[in-house]
Amino acid sequence: MKLGTLFVLMITGSVLADAPAWVKLELYPPRVGLYYRDDYQRVLAVATRADGVTRDVTGEANWNVDEAAAKVFARDEVGVVRVAGDGHAALKCEFAGLSAQLDVEVTGAGVQKPVSYRHDVLPIFMRCGCNTGGCHGASLGKDGFRLSLFGFDPAADYFRITQELPGRRLNLALPQDSLLLTKAINSAPHTGGKRMEPDSVYYQRLRQWIDAGAPNDLAAAPTVTNLAIYPPNAVLEGTGVKQPFIAVAEYSDGSTRDVSNLVVFQSNNPVTADISADGLTTSGARGEAFVMARFDTHTVGSQVLVLPADAMYEPRDEKPANYIDELVVAKLAKLRITPSDRCTDEEFLRRVTLDIVGCLPTVEEHAAFMADQAPEKRAAKIDELLARKEFADIWTMKLAQLLMVRTEQNRVEYKPMFLYFQWLSRRIADGMPLNEIVQELLSASGGSFTTPAVNFYQVEPDPKKIAENVAQAFLGLRIQCAQCHNHPFDRWTMDDYYAFSAFFEQIGRKEGEDYRETIVFNSGAGDSNHPVDGRAVPPKFLGGDAPDLKGRDRRQVAAEWIASAENPYFAPSIANRVWAHFFGIGIIEPVDDIRVSNPASNPELFAELGAKLISYKYDLKALVRDICNSNAYQRSGVANDSNRDDLRNFSHAQPRRIPAETLLDCVCQAAAAPEKFGGLPLGARATQIADGRGGNYFLTTFGRSKRETVCACEAKADPTLSQALHLLNGPTIHEKISQGKQIEKWLDAGKTPPEVIDSIYVACVSRTPTAEERDKLLALLPKENPRPVAELEDIFWAMLNSREFVFNH
Amino acid sequence: MARHGGSKYSRRGFLQAGAAAGLGVSLAEFLAIEKAQAASNLFAQPKQIAKSMIHITLEGGMASQESFDPKPFAPIEYRGELKSIATKIPGEQFSELLGNTANVADKLTIVRSLTHGEAAHERGQHSMLTGYRPSPALQYPSYGSVVSHEFGPRKNLPAYICIPGEPNPYAGSGYLSSAYGPFSVGDDPARDGFQVRDLSLPGGVDEARFARRKQALDIVNHEFTSATTADSVNAMGTFYERAFDLVNSPAAREAFNIAAEAPEVRDRYGRNQAGQRMLLARRLVEAGARFITLSYGGWDHHQNITGNMRAQLPAFDQAFATLINDLDERGLLAETLVVVTTEFGRTPKINKDGGRDHWAKVFSVALAGGGIKRGAIVGNSGPTASEPEDMPITPEDLATTLYHQLGIAAEKELMAPGDRPIEIVKGGRVVTELLG
Repeated sequence: MKLGTLFVLMITGSVLADAPAWVKLELYPPRVGLYYRDDYQRVLAVATRADGVTRDVTGEANWNVDEAAAKVFARDEVGVVRVAGDGHAALKCEFAGLSAQLDVEVTGAGVQKPVSYRHDVLPIFMRCGCNTGGCHGASLGKDGFRLSLFGFDPAADYFRITQELPGRRLNLALPQDSLLLTKAINSAPHTGGKRMEPDSVYYQRLRQWIDAGAPNDLAAAPTVTNLAIYPPNAVLEGTGVKQPFIAVAEYSDGSTRDVSNLVVFQSNNPVTADISADGLTTSGARGEAFVMARFDTHTVGSQVLVLPADAMYEPRDEKPANYIDELVVAKLAKLRITPSDRCTDEEFLRRVTLDIVGCLPTVEEHAAFMADQAPEKRAAKIDELLARKEFADIWTMKLAQLLMVRTEQNRVEYKPMFLYFQWLSRRIADGMPLNEIVQELLSASGGSFTTPAVNFYQVEPDPKKIAENVAQAFLGLRIQCAQCHNHPFDRWTMDDYYAFSAFFEQIGRKEGEDYRETIVFNSGAGDSNHPVDGRAVPPKFLGGDAPDLKGRDRRQVAAEWIASAENPYFAPSIANRVWAHFFGIGIIEPVDDIRVSNPASNPELFAELGAKLISYKYDLKALVRDICNSNAYQRSGVANDSNRDDLRNFSHAQPRRIPAETLLDCVCQAAAAPEKFGGLPLGARATQIADGRGGNYFLTTFGRSKRETVCACEAKADPTLSQALHLLNGPTIHEKISQGKQIEKWLDAGKTPPEVIDSIYVACVSRTPTAEERDKLLALLPKENPRPVAELEDIFWAMLNSREFVFNH
Repeated sequence: MARHGGSKYSRRGFLQAGAAAGLGVSLAEFLAIEKAQAASNLFAQPKQIAKSMIHITLEGGMASQESFDPKPFAPIEYRGELKSIATKIPGEQFSELLGNTANVADKLTIVRSLTHGEAAHERGQHSMLTGYRPSPALQYPSYGSVVSHEFGPRKNLPAYICIPGEPNPYAGSGYLSSAYGPFSVGDDPARDGFQVRDLSLPGGVDEARFARRKQALDIVNHEFTSATTADSVNAMGTFYERAFDLVNSPAAREAFNIAAEAPEVRDRYGRNQAGQRMLLARRLVEAGARFITLSYGGWDHHQNITGNMRAQLPAFDQAFATLINDLDERGLLAETLVVVTTEFGRTPKINKDGGRDHWAKVFSVALAGGGIKRGAIVGNSGPTASEPEDMPITPEDLATTLYHQLGIAAEKELMAPGDRPIEIVKGGRVVTELLG
């Protein structure tokens, strides 16, 4: 055996002569605790190469269980450690000259653990799929048998199994005839088919439980406090490489348990890394995946990178502009993806102007920027744009989407809505820190005219919805699911939900002197009741503590915590929204769906942006400056072989459809024909429309957010037939061209037709046409006419219809 | 067992890939995931019986007592003031205002036992347009959007068309990409000079000029589109192609041209909103459109239900009966599902204002064509239209049945954001009692 291992090692050594050396050997879990006679724990060994590639070496490593250790535990050939006797010993492992060891502690070697409803029976329902939404976990329950979805209500599940149909679901006299067993193995007809084999451990456990009289130990049995998945990450080289994963639960009594055969394993990207029900991952196509284990109310994940065996990473000879580039490039290096070049000055100018101020660079701005020889001209341009008032317009609009600034029939009249918008826009324009804006908003009490921030509580008056909105808008968390059942893919339980909504249960309202005004105040009374048992749930922060509320307005307390550095979600989720504005995709995407099962593509960057926002005292401009100055932002859209398929790691620029409001503003700007919006003076821009219900056909068709919900998905960029038809045949483009008379103005100023074509290009896409484009377009003009207005208008029309125009790139 | 999807290079493939961009995976990954997922969700592909569907939605909640389910033997406060008349189905009666419809009853199936319990307008509308109860966590796609997603356009016509516009927010694409949303005609076909929004060339632009514009557009687009492989850019290109196909297809454009119908035909449908909308729907279906949603009237009659029904129902009656006969005469009824729904019914008793309030426990819908039984009454709302006495049918059952006739398996899973596979309809059954 030992010789065999040595032999393998030697072979491996010679084959991988050129491969980087093994530098690290790790054993998982970090320690093993065994608590009763049949207890066991599988132990993995993972080796890491100098270039970061990992390999499961459990089978080929040299394990050492010495005589003293053998009195405590035994290790079988697949790495499962079992009880030998009470005591304490080390399990040692060697591989490629590296060594590692872990502690094994055995207590209760003589104890036979009774079968437990909480520990042995309940987890089987999730593992075998019984309590999913498609089966018995639905509110109706398939074929008359209902379980709580993913087991959020164990007591009710116990009742339904043992009491609802006495003698049928469980038959204590003839346990093998219990429907719970016969349906599970499909010996009685079962719509869900066979869920387990009669000789499986699951069947045995259920049978033992029924044999024992189906005891209920919910009150006394320790609860799960934590779940871990091992290894915590893996970097696999090539396809078909295997890596097993194990899951270990920690209980409220301090014990641990190997629950690998009770968790539900899932991969968020099976193409790159598929995972079997038993936790064995196999590498597939290049990319990254997140393999997850779910147990009880806990979901945990491990990042798996799959690298091509042949491709070597070529670092770019490029100085990082700031911390962003260090973190982005570190991730790209791990993935062996080479980022694209920096974009051209022209591309940069259009991109950054659209993103920061929502305008096209004017012909003059284009000329000045291209003539500028200063090496730092891009940074100077960013500062210049950040100082413009349109920057505040963009962010007022974006925050107005989150704050749902809109009129609501019988609730929010035009006047309070408009004051609400103004309240927000002043604060953004004054550069008020984002945390202070949110704190002022959430703790606001007063009249909806005099304290317009209270309109946040008027647009949506339902306390539960308010809590959901606050979580989604300011923490990036979707807790809606937990209103009716524990969140299926995250940690949020119904307890968390009702404890958080309790902060918003004490909002009083009365009509002001003017019927359009509502006065919002702290009523000091009202509770959040748990629907399962009706008890009043005291307020508690999401994932945090229950605060001292004595004599305080609950909303005030919530506001202080939400927009504070102690809250782990606020700063990074806001920073991620800012990031997404400039890249078209968040580090976590969707930006308002942060959960364990939707991990950040670059967790270090996600955390760092949040930390920076805090250190900048929540100054939006400072964060935008960092982002826009990074090489990551200034990449070209031209992909290379290594980064072509990458959409999540910022290796090259992605074209983004310009948002509806900005697009219309750009059409108006390019055609020099302003739009008139209701309630605003001629020349006001679409980004300045206060009411979410406002706008016009163009804006609605191109996906302007109606601000009906806080969801970031309300602003849409998906293409539709109506959009294409509107640009082709609708009045917007056609009429703007004839209103603005740009072509005539250029011709009047003495420009020749080729020069007019150049002007069209510069005004719309910030570049001059290529020689080929110019020639082809000139061929459309009649030779005999020195003033071909209609033909040039058609070229202008084509430009405003072009994808290069409607996308930011 | 079947699996669907455009080929890798079809336009639809591009659209799906466009949607995939939102999930952060590349086209190749997306297609592979889709393939992998298809294996995990096997479903029996029903045979397509109905090639098109016209969904007539009566917003506000039309009373069944005053329409398809009169209660002539109930006391006056339940029965209301309207009389009932015999229909072509022996022993069954409709409201006196549905005289024409009563004459085509032998071509219809009336469900008198629809039930869902959602007595708020928006919740009822959501249920009846999507087949799902509203959820705080997810907005579901409407019938038309699912059809558009599953089949795509036909004969250059948009797959899903709304007349005159989206009747309510639940007629949209829900969690699917808005690329599957409806195309709104944007004008009322009953209006003189009716014009579909943005369908015809703007004034001063003739075919020749439009061709020149398209030529210029191709030149201007080339540099950018050939340098990028981004799915979002391709997807927009696809819609431009569809727009050009529509604008350049005389047959497709003509389908919207209601003025081309003979005056007698327009009169037969009725020169009013109900008539001309249904006539336009028939033209579109005949030309190849897959799914039409049209709305007519406001039926939230908390007051004066008799007067309100007298004002609105006769136009519906004339148009609907004509639509059924016209489709039948043209041989289109067998392959066209016609469905009349409303978000809920109205209270068994007349209220103090002579109206009826919201009642979602039981109400009626009318179905015809596309494999639906000819001449049947299904379900029973009891002596006072209070609750289903026989064969309660839920919106899930109705949706499952309609999708089944359209050749769509209700248990097929579509991908919602967050990689959540969601069944097209959950927990419904194919109501075979409705099928001929």
